[in-house]
Amino acid sequence: MSTTTAAEDAPSARRSEGEDLTLRERIAANPRPALTWGAVFALLVALEFGALASGLIVLTRTAVVGITAVIQVALEALRAPFEALGLEPVVGIVNDVLGVWETSQGRFPVTSEAGDISRDTVGKIAESKRHDAPKTFSLLWVQYQLSDFLFGLQHFTESVPTLLNREVIPNQGFKTGPAGPWKNTFLGLEPAAAWAVRATLVYVYAFLTMFWVFKAYNVYREHYRVADWTPRDDVVDRLRGHRWGQFGFVVVFMFVTMAVFAPTLGPTTAEANIESTYQNEVQYFDSESGQVEEVFVGQANAGAKSKGQGDQNVGPLSYDDYGRYHPFGTDVNGQDLFTFMVAGSRISLFVGLIAIGLSAFVAATLSLLSAYYKGLVDLATVIAADSVIALPQFLILIMVSVAFQGHWLSRVYSGGMLIALVFGLSGWPFLWRAVRGPSFQVAEEEWIDAAKSFGQRVPVTMRKHMLPYILGYLLVYGSMSLGGIIIATSALSFLGNGLGINPPTPEWGRAIAAGRNYVSTQSWHIATIPGVMIVLVVTAFNALGDGIRDAIDPESEGAEGGGAAAGGGG
Amino acid sequence: MATIDAPEDERETAGVGVGRGDEPLLSVEALTTAFYTDRETIRAVDGIGFDIHEGETLGIVGESGSGKSVTARSIMGLVESPGRIEPRSSVRFRGEELTDLSEKEYRTVRGGGIAMVFQDPLTSLNPVYTVGNQIKEALRLHQGLRGEEATERAIELLEAVSIPDAARRVEEYPHQFSGGMRQRAVIAMALACDPDLLICDEPTTALDVTIQAQILELLEDLQEERGLSILFITHDMGVIAEVSDRVAVMYAGETVESAPVEELFRSPKHPYTQGLLESIPGRHPDSDRLRTIEGDVPTPNAAATDCRFAPRCPEVFEDCHEVHPQPVAVGSGDEDHHAACLLYPEDTSRDAAVEHHVERKRERTGGEGE
Amino acid sequence: MSRWSYVLKRLVLAVPVLVFALTVTFMILYLGPLDPVTAVFGQEYNPSDALQLRKDLGLVRADGSPVPLWEQYIDFMVRLFTFNFGQSWVVASEVSVSTLIWNKVLPTVWLGFWSVIVALVVGLPLGFYAGLNPNTGGDYLASFGGIVWRAMPNFWLAVILAGAISQGGFLEGYRTWIIETQVIGTPRGTLETLLMDVELLGIAMPMVDPTNFFAAVKWILPAALVLGSSSMGNEMRIGRTAVLETINSNYVETARAKGVSSWKIVSKHVFRNAMVPLLPVIMGEFYLLIGGSVLVELIFNINGLGRLFISAAFGADVTVLGALLFIFVTMTLVFNIIQDILYTMIDPRVGYESE
Ligand code: SF4
Repeated sequence: MSTTTAAEDAPSARRSEGEDLTLRERIAANPRPALTWGAVFALLVALEFGALASGLIVLTRTAVVGITAVIQVALEALRAPFEALGLEPVVGIVNDVLGVWETSQGRFPVTSEAGDISRDTVGKIAESKRHDAPKTFSLLWVQYQLSDFLFGLQHFTESVPTLLNREVIPNQGFKTGPAGPWKNTFLGLEPAAAWAVRATLVYVYAFLTMFWVFKAYNVYREHYRVADWTPRDDVVDRLRGHRWGQFGFVVVFMFVTMAVFAPTLGPTTAEANIESTYQNEVQYFDSESGQVEEVFVGQANAGAKSKGQGDQNVGPLSYDDYGRYHPFGTDVNGQDLFTFMVAGSRISLFVGLIAIGLSAFVAATLSLLSAYYKGLVDLATVIAADSVIALPQFLILIMVSVAFQGHWLSRVYSGGMLIALVFGLSGWPFLWRAVRGPSFQVAEEEWIDAAKSFGQRVPVTMRKHMLPYILGYLLVYGSMSLGGIIIATSALSFLGNGLGINPPTPEWGRAIAAGRNYVSTQSWHIATIPGVMIVLVVTAFNALGDGIRDAIDPESEGAEGGGAAAGGGG
Repeated sequence: MATIDAPEDERETAGVGVGRGDEPLLSVEALTTAFYTDRETIRAVDGIGFDIHEGETLGIVGESGSGKSVTARSIMGLVESPGRIEPRSSVRFRGEELTDLSEKEYRTVRGGGIAMVFQDPLTSLNPVYTVGNQIKEALRLHQGLRGEEATERAIELLEAVSIPDAARRVEEYPHQFSGGMRQRAVIAMALACDPDLLICDEPTTALDVTIQAQILELLEDLQEERGLSILFITHDMGVIAEVSDRVAVMYAGETVESAPVEELFRSPKHPYTQGLLESIPGRHPDSDRLRTIEGDVPTPNAAATDCRFAPRCPEVFEDCHEVHPQPVAVGSGDEDHHAACLLYPEDTSRDAAVEHHVERKRERTGGEGE
Repeated sequence: MSRWSYVLKRLVLAVPVLVFALTVTFMILYLGPLDPVTAVFGQEYNPSDALQLRKDLGLVRADGSPVPLWEQYIDFMVRLFTFNFGQSWVVASEVSVSTLIWNKVLPTVWLGFWSVIVALVVGLPLGFYAGLNPNTGGDYLASFGGIVWRAMPNFWLAVILAGAISQGGFLEGYRTWIIETQVIGTPRGTLETLLMDVELLGIAMPMVDPTNFFAAVKWILPAALVLGSSSMGNEMRIGRTAVLETINSNYVETARAKGVSSWKIVSKHVFRNAMVPLLPVIMGEFYLLIGGSVLVELIFNINGLGRLFISAAFGADVTVLGALLFIFVTMTLVFNIIQDILYTMIDPRVGYESE
C-alpha cells in the first residue's frame, strides 16, 4: 500500500515545488518545447529579418520624433507668454533647451525630412543634410542624433537580404516580342502571376508568423504554466468563439501586414512609381517599332493615365501599354493605384497609432488621477474633457493645419505628425469617458486601500494596481477610435491644400479626391477602391474592438464611445 | 390540496385532507418545457404535475437550475423562443386549458387570473415610470379603472401592502423606494389585477432577513383576506416551512417528492429531500459542520432513462441507472405523500418497487418516450 | 440632489467649458504661427497697409506699439461674449461677420435638419425592428447594414453619390424624378420661396409652397443622407442593443405577467427605456454635423457655414474663424444642456444616483 501512496504523492509534491519556480527555471527543467518553438520562430524571423527590423526601427524612430516633437511644441507654447511679456532671459533658456537651429531653408530641424517614413531609400536624404546638424547639446540635437542613428540602422537593415523581396521574385519585366516570353520576371511568368506569387507569399508568411506567435501561448499553457486554469483562458476561449471579432482581427492583421510589407507588396514601389518618377526607368516592348524600348517611369505614367474617357483608362487587373501590371488600375496620373494604396496604408497606420497612443496615455493618466484623488481633481478633469469635446475636432484639425502651414512640424511625416498630435490631444476625452467608470470602480477596491495603508507610492499604486484593470478598455475603445482617425485623416487629405498628408506621400483620401470626377466613368476604380478599403478597415477595427470587449467583459453590451467620436468629421 | 400527478384512481382516494374536494384551481400535468439551442436541447421542466386548490399555498423548492422558475413561466405562458412547451403538457386553470390559448387570450389570464411576483424587486419595476403609473396600468387592464378612481385604488393597494404615506408614495419612482418597499409595490401591482392565484418566484431572495420575514407575513395576511392561492417558489427550505401547505421538491426538471409540509419535514422520503433538509443550518446542532449535497444539478438534455439524482445519491443502487423512477405513494397508508425514487413504496420489496416504477412509467407514457 | 439641480449644475459647468474651449481657439489663432497680414496681402505687402490691418485687428495700438497678448485675449473673449464679431478681412473684405454668417446659415440649417430627420426615420425603426426580432435574417441585414453604413467616410459617400447622380451615373434619374432639380449647388431661390402667401377666407396667410418645398427637400436629400449616414448607423446599432436589453429586462417580464399587450409593452415600456441610451446618440448628431457639413457642403457645392469655415480657414480670416468657433461651441453646449433636460425628463433616476 505504501508504495502506491508514494507514487501518488510524488507528482503533487513536484507540482507544489514547481509553483515556486520562475518561468526561466521551469523552461530549464523542460527545455524541449520551448526550444522547438524558439527554433521555428528564429527561422521565421531570419527569413525576413531585414524587413522586420526595418519596420521596428521605423516605429522606434516614429516614437523618438513623436515624443521630442511633443516636448518641442509644449516648450514653444510655454515660451509664447514669456515672449509676449518680454521676459528675455526665460525665453533664452527655453530657446537653449529647444535648440533653435537656422539652416539655409529657415528655422526647422532635420526632422522634417528625416522623419519622412514613407520613403524607401531613406539613407540618401540623411546624408545630404548631415553637414547641417545642430552643433550644441539641446533637445533638437538629441532628436537629430537619435533619428540620424536610427536612419543609418534602418538603411543597414534594409540592405540585409530577405526571402520575400522584389529582387528574389521580380514582377517587372518586358516581352521580348509581340507574343514572346517575358524577360526579367520571376521564372519568366507574366508580371501579373509573378506579382501574385510574391503578394501571396508575403501573406502566407505573415499568417504563419502570427500563427506561430499564438502557438507560443499554447506551448506556455501546456508546458510551463503552473495553474491549470486562469481567467485569461476564458478570455481566449470567448475570443475563439467570436466570429465577428475574428473577422476584425484578420482584416486588421492584413492591413498591418500591408503597411509593414508595403515596399514588397506593390507591383512597383512608391519611390519609383510615385515619388521619383524621373530617376527610374522601365523597359517595355513597343509594338510599333517592334523593339524593346526604355522610358522614364514618368513618361510611362503619362501614357497610362485613367481619366474616364476614350482609351484613357487602365482599369483594375489589367496591363498598361508599357507591360506594367496594375491590380487596382492606375490613377489620374498614371500611377499604380495598388502601390499607392499599399504605401498609403503605412501613413494611415502610423498616424492612427501615434494618435491613439497619445490619447490613451492622457486618458489613462487623467482617469487614474481623478479616480485616486477625486474631488477637485476630478472636477477639473471633467471640465477639461468637456471643453475639448465641445470643440469640433475636425474643424480644429483644419484650423491647426492651416495655422501650422510652413512650420517645421507640418513637414514631419508629410504632415502626419501634426495631425496625429492634434488627434491625440483632442481625442483623449472619448477614451477617458470609457475608462473613467472602471477607474473609479477599481479605486474603490480594497487592495488600493491596502496599498495606501502600507505606504505604497502613488504612481506605483496606479501603475501596478489600477492601470491593468483599465488597459482592456483602452484597447477596446482605442481600436474603435482608430477607425475614426483613419477616416478623418483621409478626409483632411481629401481636402488637400496643405491639409492632411501632403503629396507626394500617398494617402488614401487623396486618391478619392483625384478620382472624384470619374465616379460614373470607366475610371470609377480610382475613387471607389480606396473608399471600399477604408470602409473595410474601419469596420474591421470596430469589429476587433467589439470582439475584445465581449471577450474581456462579456456582461457589457453596446456601451458606446469611440465609434461615435470617430465620425467626428469624416 | 395538491397531489402529485397520481393516476386517476389514486387521486380519488387521495382526495382528502385540506382539500375542499372540488376541482383544483390550477392543475398541471406532464408539463414539459424544453429549450432548443444550436448546441443542445435542455428539458428544463420534464413532465411535472401538481394541483393547487383555492386558498392553498404550494411551495416548490429546489436548487438553482432545477426548473422551478421555468415552471412558473410556463404556467404564465411567458416561455420565449427558443423555449417551447411540449405538446403533451397540460396546464388547466379553473378547468380551462391554458396551453391551447392564443397570446391574446392568455393576456386576460395573466394578471387577471394568475399574477406573478418576480425575484428581483430592484429590476421588476420599470425605472422610468412612477410606481402608481405601473399599478394603474394593471388596474386599467383588469378592472377597467381609470383616472381618479384608479389613483385611489392604487393608494389603497399600497396601503394594503403596508406602504406608509401611500398617497405620496404613489407618485414616486421605483428608485426612490427601498428594496423591501419595492417588493411590496410589486405585490401591490400583482394584487391590482385581482388574481385568484399568485405565483411568487423567489420573492424574498434578494431581500435581507428582517424584510424577508415582513414580506412573508404580508403574503400570509393577503392570502387570508383575499382567499388567494399561492404558488411559492424558492430554494430556501426555511421559507418553505413557513409559507406552504404542501411542498413539491424539484430536481433537474422533475418533481421528486411531494407531501403536506409537516409530513415532508417530519419524514422526508426522497434521498434528495433528506439531503436538502440536512443542509439547513441549525437542524443538526450536534454536528459541527453544515452538511451539503456534493455535486451540481445535471442539465437534462434528453428524456430520462435513469434516476437523475443517482450520481449524487447516497442510497444509489444498480437499478437507479436503468430505471427512471416515477412519483409513487411512499407507503400504502401514505397516499398523500409521493416520491420519485426506486426505494418506494417502502412496504414492498426492492424488486417489486422497481417493477412498480417500470409499470407506472409504461402507464404514464403509453409505452412511448423511451 | 433633486433632478433639476442636476440640470442647473450642468448649466453652471457649461460656463467654464465655454471659456476653456474659446481659450484653446484663441491660442490656435493668435499664438500659432498664423499671420493674418500675409493672408490678406500676400508675401509682398505694403508696410502701411499691414500696420493699418494690425491696428484694425487689435494687434497693435494706434501708436504702433504691440498690444500685449493678454489684452488681445481679453478683447477676443469680450467681443465674442458680447456678440460683437467684427468684420471679415479675407473671405469678404470688410463685410461684418454677422452678416456673412447670417447669409449662409439657411442652407446649413436646412441640410442639418434633413440629415437628422433622415437618420431618425431610417435608423430608429430599423434598429428597433432588429432589436425586437433578434437573430433573424432581417436583424442580420439591418445590423450589418448599420455597421457598414457607420464605417463609410462621409466624404467618400458624398463623392460616390454626387457622381452617381450628377455625372450621368446609375442614379441619374433622380434629377428628373417628378420635378427637375439639381443636386449640386445651392438654389437660393427655392429655399427662400418656401413660403408663399395664400388668400384664405380673405386673409393673407403664409403657407408652405408645396412645389418649392418638395423641390427643396429633393435637392437636399442626397446631401442629408450622406451627412446623416454615420448617425443613422449609430442609431440603428444602439437602438438594437437598447431594445434588446430592455425587452429582456425584468420589468418587461413583469409587465407581460400582468397581461400588458405586446404593442403596449413596446410603445410604453420598451420605447422610453430604450431612448435613454439613444438620446446621446441622437443629440450627438449635432456634433457630427459640424464637422461633416464642411465636407458635404464642399462636395455638393452648398453655400453654407461649412464652406464659409473652409474659406475662412484657408484665408486665415481670424475674425470669421473665431466667430464660427464661438457659435459652434455654444451650440454644442446648448445641445448638451437640452440633452440633459431631456434626460431628466425621460429618466427619473438622473441626478439621483450621482450624489
Ligand atoms: S432512485 Fe436510486 S438514485 Fe434515485 S434517489 Fe432513489 S435511491 Fe437515489
